Amino acid sequence: MKALPRLASWIQVAPVALILVLFFGLPMLVVVAVSFFDYGQGRLYPTFIFDNYLEIFSSSVTLRLYLSSLKFALIVWAVTLFIGFNIAYFLVFHVRTLLWQIGLFLLCTVPFWTSNIIRMISWIPFLGRNGIFNQTFMGFGIVSQPMDFLLFSDFAVVVAYVHLFTLFMVVPIFNSMARIDRSLIEAAYDAGAGRWRILTEIVLPLSKTGIALGSIFVITLVMGDFFVVKVMSGGQSASVVSALSNEIAAIQYPPAAANAMILVAIVTLMVSGILRLVDIRRELTG
Amino acid sequence: MPAGTRNGEIRIVGVTKRFGDMAAVRDLTLTIPDKAYCCLLGPSGCGKTTILRMIAGHESPTTGEIRIGGEPVVGLSPVQRGTAMMFQSYALFPHRSVLDNVAFSLKLRGASKAERHRQARELLAKVRMERFADRLPAQLSGGQQQRVALARALITNPRVLLLDEPLSALDEYLRLRMRGELRRVQKELGITFIHVTHTQLEAIAVADLVVVMAQGAIEQAASAQEIFTAPRTAYVARFMGGQNVLSGTVERVADGHAIVVDEHGVSFSTAANGEEPVRGSRLVGSIRRDRISVSKAQGCATASGKVNSLLGEVHAIEYQGSYVKLTIERPSGEGFVANIIDEDFFRDPLDIGDSVLARWSARDVLILEGAADAGEASMDEAGGVLI
Amino acid sequence: MRHAAAGPRPWTFYVFASFFALFVLFLYGPMTVIYILSFQGPTGGLTFPMTGFSLRWFHALVAAERVGDIGGSFSRSIVLAVIVAVLTVVLSVTAGLGFRRRFPGSGVVFYLAIASLIMPGLFVGLGIAVGFQLLGLDIDWYTSALGAQLTWTLPYGLLIMFAVLGRFNRAYEEAATDLGATPWQRLREVVLPILLPGIIGVALFGFTLSYDEFPRTVLTAGTRNTLPLEVWAMTTNVTSPALFAVGTVTTIVSFIAIGVALISIAVIQRRRTRSSGEPI
Repeated sequence: MKALPRLASWIQVAPVALILVLFFGLPMLVVVAVSFFDYGQGRLYPTFIFDNYLEIFSSSVTLRLYLSSLKFALIVWAVTLFIGFNIAYFLVFHVRTLLWQIGLFLLCTVPFWTSNIIRMISWIPFLGRNGIFNQTFMGFGIVSQPMDFLLFSDFAVVVAYVHLFTLFMVVPIFNSMARIDRSLIEAAYDAGAGRWRILTEIVLPLSKTGIALGSIFVITLVMGDFFVVKVMSGGQSASVVSALSNEIAAIQYPPAAANAMILVAIVTLMVSGILRLVDIRRELTG
Repeated sequence: MPAGTRNGEIRIVGVTKRFGDMAAVRDLTLTIPDKAYCCLLGPSGCGKTTILRMIAGHESPTTGEIRIGGEPVVGLSPVQRGTAMMFQSYALFPHRSVLDNVAFSLKLRGASKAERHRQARELLAKVRMERFADRLPAQLSGGQQQRVALARALITNPRVLLLDEPLSALDEYLRLRMRGELRRVQKELGITFIHVTHTQLEAIAVADLVVVMAQGAIEQAASAQEIFTAPRTAYVARFMGGQNVLSGTVERVADGHAIVVDEHGVSFSTAANGEEPVRGSRLVGSIRRDRISVSKAQGCATASGKVNSLLGEVHAIEYQGSYVKLTIERPSGEGFVANIIDEDFFRDPLDIGDSVLARWSARDVLILEGAADAGEASMDEAGGVLI
Repeated sequence: MRHAAAGPRPWTFYVFASFFALFVLFLYGPMTVIYILSFQGPTGGLTFPMTGFSLRWFHALVAAERVGDIGGSFSRSIVLAVIVAVLTVVLSVTAGLGFRRRFPGSGVVFYLAIASLIMPGLFVGLGIAVGFQLLGLDIDWYTSALGAQLTWTLPYGLLIMFAVLGRFNRAYEEAATDLGATPWQRLREVVLPILLPGIIGVALFGFTLSYDEFPRTVLTAGTRNTLPLEVWAMTTNVTSPALFAVGTVTTIVSFIAIGVALISIAVIQRRRTRSSGEPI
């Protein structure tokens, strides 16, 4: 009789498990296997060689790509953390009615429900030589020449990333902050703490989980991206995955797969580093 | 509902319920007569809710038998047993109107809309909620929700109604009012009610049969009056709050009375009826709080050591309306409580810190079974607020 | 989580509020520019000034002049999004209910779902594409791309269901059993209706995540593109405001989906909220 409920659970979870295994688990194993294949002239030769990995490790391009990706990841992380934290703090502690809170939260969230690509390219008329920024700035006489660095540059890439991914910081931090027991803050206030002390002593430590979660999301998203950096840098900058996508386009699957594996390993290291600092499981399973 | 039998007698025989390593209910045996209002009373964790849920069919005993109206019911669904339950949180379906909530069980059986709405309205009228038939549960107050929950349970025509702390979520005033409602409904319907509560006053106010429980076992199952005036164990005495517990060793026997002295010199005497108490054996007794007279102590040494008296300092004074609750500090640390009629108290009021002498008669001393310290730990929660 | 309305606001409120306003501007500004520019005059270019106000670029989409297969990819995207939404709802709700009990293997499935969430979509797509190739199967939008998108939507669906079911009071189910409900009746009459707002949320996630999905789909859609893929192709080929017109149209679709979902949830919640404002 005891087995019956468990059997029911298995049946209920089976379809999801099946799809995840078929379309995620197995394909990832395929990628691992392919990273050891040989290739040539658009064909794959299933064998087991380390050549793909060796080439990656011995190439100086690899290091450059990783540094570039890490650079973006770090800058975007810092910016989104700053913005995300302040937005969440405002919504949780300065907005007074539940209705306004939900309303403003939705206001921030709705853009993220629309296409990433469209939102990304919407910056082009903004930042271009004849774009809004330049026209406005020149109109007000702040600059005399159009600023070139705004578009098709690292700056544009960071702007686009921040535009696309800040929500992933806001939501977890908002969640963490909302769970803070208000009586803690009131007790601190009673004891004479000012707003800054309350922020550093109470809010910040209790938001750690949210910050960690948000950081994980942002870092994995930036490290794993290929189209933002391609388009917004005009091809000047590169990231690991954009170089990878070039290899895929050239049907050079084995080196692409090997690159993918290495990236996954490195990002996993970064994520476990973050997890070591904060316990996430509790947050996710609520 | 089994055809024919409307007998709501409940027999629980040797029931044990384990959750993992923990036994919530231990080898419990109890008979609840048909048409009785029975209260399961005890602190949280004593197993009373587990028993209720096993009678209801929402839990199954690990071992043991449960019979309702003579038929074994373990393994049967609630509906098959002829029981219905009223949940502590009421659990009214938030997405359905009051009327649909009450008519729910009829809908499950395939009754037509007209028919089930008619029956539901009848029942709502009985609990005086017919005006709210089209409202949603969220629009009702706690007391109103409770009446709807009652109606919803009663529409299945059960022979036993199980109530899980039905009054806990209400404020004090409503609680007192609804108490009477439940009693009235039970008498009208003529079915068995089993009411779980942790409030002593509530239990003795409504129940024909009070079952005091602790740690998965029954301490005493008897009428409300017997529970209050003749508790069986120190636990029941302390939990019900109307008594002070005394204990000690039998020093000597004189005139058919055993003189019992404790380590602090406090002594009481009690009639040795039937069995001759053995010298040197331990005895536990209790004395009702309202059978104690208290007076200012004239000269400390004179009265100490006298039987059926206690010398001490007033530790707390609580005005309770028709009486004053006086707590005297005992050498053992446990408070000794005397309930003094207000007239008597205010004739010559006492103050905290006053030295007082408390006296009682040997006639009023009850002998208790079991250990002297039973129920001491639960004293803080039990408190003991009695009129 | 409500403040008692307590006195005047500190000066920091205005700082934060301005910051917030700037952020909202930052979020909506570029999109608004695109909406405006999509009405660019017939002779206009990709940036301001507006040479006129016309629907010319919208016509261009429909007439498919040099702008690729917008109509086809649009309908494919919608169909795929609906299929994904339906599948995500059915599978996530079922699995969510299954996860309420502890069962051996629950940890594995959970971490598999989280890993699927974090893994860059391009790699998942690569694995599926090569896998299909090795098996000799054709990749297509309603097979390989569907599977790929599900690996993205199902974890979100699961997480939402976990959150919703975590707050669900099991007393409702017991009450239903007490009144004579069979397990199936319990599900149909009590559990699902009460969970309806959460289920709508899952459907919304399923639809929009699929409709906008790019990295997983880019390698697994085959010869017939979905809309994001088509747009991607346009970013390199098309040099007219037609691109912006696409942006406007596709955003309208997203807004409609969001609007429908949010309004339904709001309506349901309003009926079930206590007068104190706390949801049940």
